[in-house]
Amino acid sequence: MATPTHTLRPLTCWKSILRHTRHQKVVTRSLTTYHQNVPYSKFQLPPPALKKIKVYPAPPFPAANTKEPLKALCADQIALLDPTGVRTSLFSKTNPEAAKVGDILLVRLKGGDPFAGVCINIRRRGVDTGILLRNQLTRVGVEMWYKIYSPNVEGIEVVQRSAKRARRARLTYMRKPKHDVGSVQNLVLAYQRSRSGLRGSAQKEEGLKGGKKKSVRGKKH
Amino acid sequence: MAPKLPTSWAQLPPTFLLPDAFLPIITKRGVKYGWTTAPARGKPARFNQKTAGLPVLEQSPAAALARKELTLPLRTGALGIKKGMTALYDPDTGVRTPCTVVQFDRVQVVSQKTREKNGYFAVQIGSGWKQPQNVGRPLMGHFAGHGVSPKKFVTEFRVKNESGLLKAGVTIGPEWFLEGQFVDARSDCKGKGWAGGMKKWGFKGQPASHGNSKNHRTMGSSGASQGGGSRVLPGKKMPGRMGGNQVTIQNVKVLKVDAEKGLLVLNGCIAGPNGCVVKIQDAIKKPWPTIPAAMEKVKEALAANA
Repeated sequence: MATPTHTLRPLTCWKSILRHTRHQKVVTRSLTTYHQNVPYSKFQLPPPALKKIKVYPAPPFPAANTKEPLKALCADQIALLDPTGVRTSLFSKTNPEAAKVGDILLVRLKGGDPFAGVCINIRRRGVDTGILLRNQLTRVGVEMWYKIYSPNVEGIEVVQRSAKRARRARLTYMRKPKHDVGSVQNLVLAYQRSRSGLRGSAQKEEGLKGGKKKSVRGKKH
Repeated sequence: MAPKLPTSWAQLPPTFLLPDAFLPIITKRGVKYGWTTAPARGKPARFNQKTAGLPVLEQSPAAALARKELTLPLRTGALGIKKGMTALYDPDTGVRTPCTVVQFDRVQVVSQKTREKNGYFAVQIGSGWKQPQNVGRPLMGHFAGHGVSPKKFVTEFRVKNESGLLKAGVTIGPEWFLEGQFVDARSDCKGKGWAGGMKKWGFKGQPASHGNSKNHRTMGSSGASQGGGSRVLPGKKMPGRMGGNQVTIQNVKVLKVDAEKGLLVLNGCIAGPNGCVVKIQDAIKKPWPTIPAAMEKVKEALAANA
């Protein structure tokens, strides 16, 4: 009497059958002897036909005319603050008569005392241009920055030009005791005396009261 | 041993007689795409009714929008290019105001984001122009789909509701902002590279002398020892990359608007180098500006009614 076969038993044969077929495949593959190279280009598929995407043109750009907006803004401001162009020419690089570093400058202010000193730095930034003046008050070195286009600055005058052209852009060495010119008070006083003397001889009709500032300002602007 | 096929498949007993192990163990019922599609076994939300007196959930998208209700601007912002700094003088008072000049370059609305589709309201803004061959196909299709030329910079500005959305292709100039109004200007600040603790966080460093040796700019201690847990606490300020992150300058006053030159003059300084992109939107900490165009519409409506 044979033992009853397990229900899964018939499936066991599949493994050997599959192994057999696999062996056969290997045999047939190894029998192939002829092989010819085919250029890869023949098999290259044509690129997929991509839909063309419409390109819209850029909108009009009127601001493109203003390539340098900063300069344009500065020019507008300067035209407003310095309509005569006196300040611009006083510190212009192209003007041979312009104030340079090393010159002694006098800045008259709308509210407050005028300040004079040696110009040791000119910071050129369009409407934001400033000058650095150095002087000694009560034997203490004082440096002041003034914005040349500021409405608070009434006028800038050249008291004395430097004998020689400075060979530096910034004369910071003047802070050292060896090079410090010290107080320019005497020079400024002499300059003011000569100016008033000139004015007294030339314009006698002008009154003393309030004439000093006005006339000087009128000459400057 | 030769393979042996079963004599007949009919010999297999019917499935209901087969043992459980032979049946597939994969659950099929109620499962689709890897997660269950069976109906929910309960409604947990029923316990969180308003009458239950429980706190309202704050993790929902609706709650997030409600939180942003007061701080989201009513209208979109714009993209500008920082051109540099200068100063404005008041001829009467003589007051000098330092300012930053920002130029608008073909700023256009590219697309919109809506609550239904994206979960929030926003306006996508593009600026400048880019060579079409330098734009990838997906982005090119995005621009073409909205009828806009390829843009160099694209960003989005969130708005409060759909009334702040603009149609694609609408041009935004500097006149979008009013003189005297306040804006928030955000831009990427200048990168400083890898910086030490003194530069990055303002640590004091160590003295130059008094027996100090080779430790003048180091950060020093990074925390307490055993009493403090013998570890570096999270968020400890340490040397590392500095700058290059986005910086928002809030409540910047608009000093001047020049539509012809495409200029917006802002008070003070803005983060980033000249030529960087500046995102400008109405200040969130000031009352929303009253736009004259909106007022005109109201006037027209009033005139039509009268």
